[in-house]
Amino acid sequence: MTMDDNGDPRERNFSAEDVMKKKDQIFEDILKLLVAELNVSPTDITADLTIRDDLDFDSLQLYEFVIDLEEAYDIRLPDDLLDNVRTIADVVDLVYDLSIDPKD
Amino acid sequence: MRDEELELADRLVRIFENVLFTEEKSIQKGYFSDLSIAEMHTLDAIGPYEARTMTETASSLGITTGTLTVSIDRLVKKGYVVRNRDEKDRRIVRISLTREGKLASRMHGKYHKVLARHILEPYTKEEQALLMSMVEELDKYLESQASRYNGSESVRKTAKEVAAKTRRRENDDG
Repeated sequence: MTMDDNGDPRERNFSAEDVMKKKDQIFEDILKLLVAELNVSPTDITADLTIRDDLDFDSLQLYEFVIDLEEAYDIRLPDDLLDNVRTIADVVDLVYDLSIDPKD
Repeated sequence: MRDEELELADRLVRIFENVLFTEEKSIQKGYFSDLSIAEMHTLDAIGPYEARTMTETASSLGITTGTLTVSIDRLVKKGYVVRNRDEKDRRIVRISLTREGKLASRMHGKYHKVLARHILEPYTKEEQALLMSMVEELDKYLESQASRYNGSESVRKTAKEVAAKTRRRENDDG
């Protein structure tokens, strides 16, 4: 293990490139879920879109999306974590952080 | 002072009734209108993540496993709950929420959260903290009042019994 890591112990074993790759993968998965759930074209979706305003989610669809993510990544996304999520990029970061962190 | 006491007494009862009423309506008018409030709370008690045993779930709801069994049968039939045998110990049955069950419980949780958010919204951070600590005290006090009745049958005679006894004594005297 090198000592030049950026301080976050959970990311110690991942190079910046690995992190990027993993996050890209999560973004792709989210894209697939959104396309299926909302009937939108994948080219319309960018990481800076906000969940509440830019995407046409009602609360039921939002929870379907959340439960899909929980099941796909074996993570927990309780409401108090979701409160801080604004954009799709935020979702990607949250899913990434939770999925590299062992549950419980 | 007297009027304030009366007003608080009235408001407490009304708050209780209206929370219950709107909760019931939110379920009836929502996507999960085939669930009762009690069934919704059963889903909440099972929780969206690990499978739970009947005993655990019954005790967190404060009901017997017999009562829970009836309610779980119905929830299984409606497609909100599944029963699975424990992989290691086949004698243990665990219950967990289906996807529909998770959705129902989370949507309902949202109702409570939004209600609370709207109550807190008009206040400053300091006022919110004060309100929270006062509500906490209120909750604790009512909890302590409620716990006095835990598990004890009423030993006090009813007013009618007392009156009947008094009347008998008066008749004996007379």
